[in-house]
Amino acid sequence: MKKLLAVLAVVSMLPVATMAQTPSWFEIKGELKTALESKGDVKRGEVSFEQCVGCHRADASGRVSGAYPRLSGQHDTVLVKQIVDIRSGRRNNPKMEPFIGDHVLDAYQIADVAAYLSGLPIALANGKGPGTLVAKGKELFDKDCAVCHGPKGQGDVAKFYPMVSAQHYKYLLREVNFIRDGDRRNSNPDMVKVIKPYTNGELEAVADYMASLAAPSK
Amino acid sequence: MTSQIYRYASKLALVPRGLSVMLAFGLVWAAPAQAQDAKTIASTVCSACHGEDGNSLVPMFPKIAGLQEEYIVKQLRDFKSGRRKGDIMAPVVAALKAEDFLPLASYFSSQKMKAGEVDDKKLADLGKLVFFDGNEDSGLPACVGCHQAQGAGHTIYPRIGGQHGTYVSQQLKNFAAGDRSNDVSRFMRVAAKRMTEEEINAVSAYVATLGAK
Repeated sequence: MKKLLAVLAVVSMLPVATMAQTPSWFEIKGELKTALESKGDVKRGEVSFEQCVGCHRADASGRVSGAYPRLSGQHDTVLVKQIVDIRSGRRNNPKMEPFIGDHVLDAYQIADVAAYLSGLPIALANGKGPGTLVAKGKELFDKDCAVCHGPKGQGDVAKFYPMVSAQHYKYLLREVNFIRDGDRRNSNPDMVKVIKPYTNGELEAVADYMASLAAPSK
Repeated sequence: MTSQIYRYASKLALVPRGLSVMLAFGLVWAAPAQAQDAKTIASTVCSACHGEDGNSLVPMFPKIAGLQEEYIVKQLRDFKSGRRKGDIMAPVVAALKAEDFLPLASYFSSQKMKAGEVDDKKLADLGKLVFFDGNEDSGLPACVGCHQAQGAGHTIYPRIGGQHGTYVSQQLKNFAAGDRSNDVSRFMRVAAKRMTEEEINAVSAYVATLGAK
């Protein structure tokens, strides 16, 4: 256990970028590069996050309604990329955009916030789906999604793939619709291709299944 | 600087003079100079509108008792520089010295803001929802996020628990219209713009009832 903790401590001290691989579907440059190469400071991140808790809650659990996602425990690479994409307009998010411009956070503070959030314990209670579509959803997930998002929905920190397990159902459902319909423009084109033929019912099923997955024990 | 010279001069002057003079000066100089000054300024300059202890009795004038020190200093600086506009405050602050800001802020910050009464229970109940949840449809963040439970605030986020509802609603309207623009990272201008008039009135009614009874 001590050894494991020591290894974890070393890993958590590395800049975000050492964990990241060169992706094929976007370029790491500008403030994204700066943030990924910066060693996020958890303490500073906690202070920067204060302005976010009005929506994402003090424990970063988001809203069970799905209006705002859970951020606690999410991969730091994912958080950095999404914040950068939202404020650059690549990901359309008019509710959040005015609160995370560079008049609020600079690139280093993005890394700080990501370091803080990724280290938070994952709040257990998330918004669940109907539960009746889980079996159908698992079938689709295992076939199409698990290869990137992991068999348990744990995502992939090195590849910028988000953890999708234990996320709020309504949030997952909204985002998969946005991705399929091309409204989430910073999505991996490979994913868009895969879920393009999905019906609304199939998206509901996959979201139902992902929301039913337990958070990975870190 | 001048006060140091005076202090030195007065010490010199004390030597040949009588004990009574020495005592009189001694009393004045023995008290922590800044606190004494702040309290004097508070009662001669600020109290007419904000109340002796910072609990103003007039709803359009804010209570400043128990506001965060950092927040009060920022507001005074902003009034002085014109970043925050106020027909009443501008000439008052113009007459103050910048070095008085921190002692003044420290004095009022150490007072307790008194909670107001509930005028309209139904309106305050709606305000409570806004305070704790915001509005997910309009993307209004919950007030509690920054202003904390009981509206106590911290560091740069001012206490709003117990503040006059009339004042709070006026400030929210000023933020929404852009007439008040000295908020940190434009946060309140964005948030207030997302509020309906009903939400503004409701949350103002609610926060007025919070804080120390």
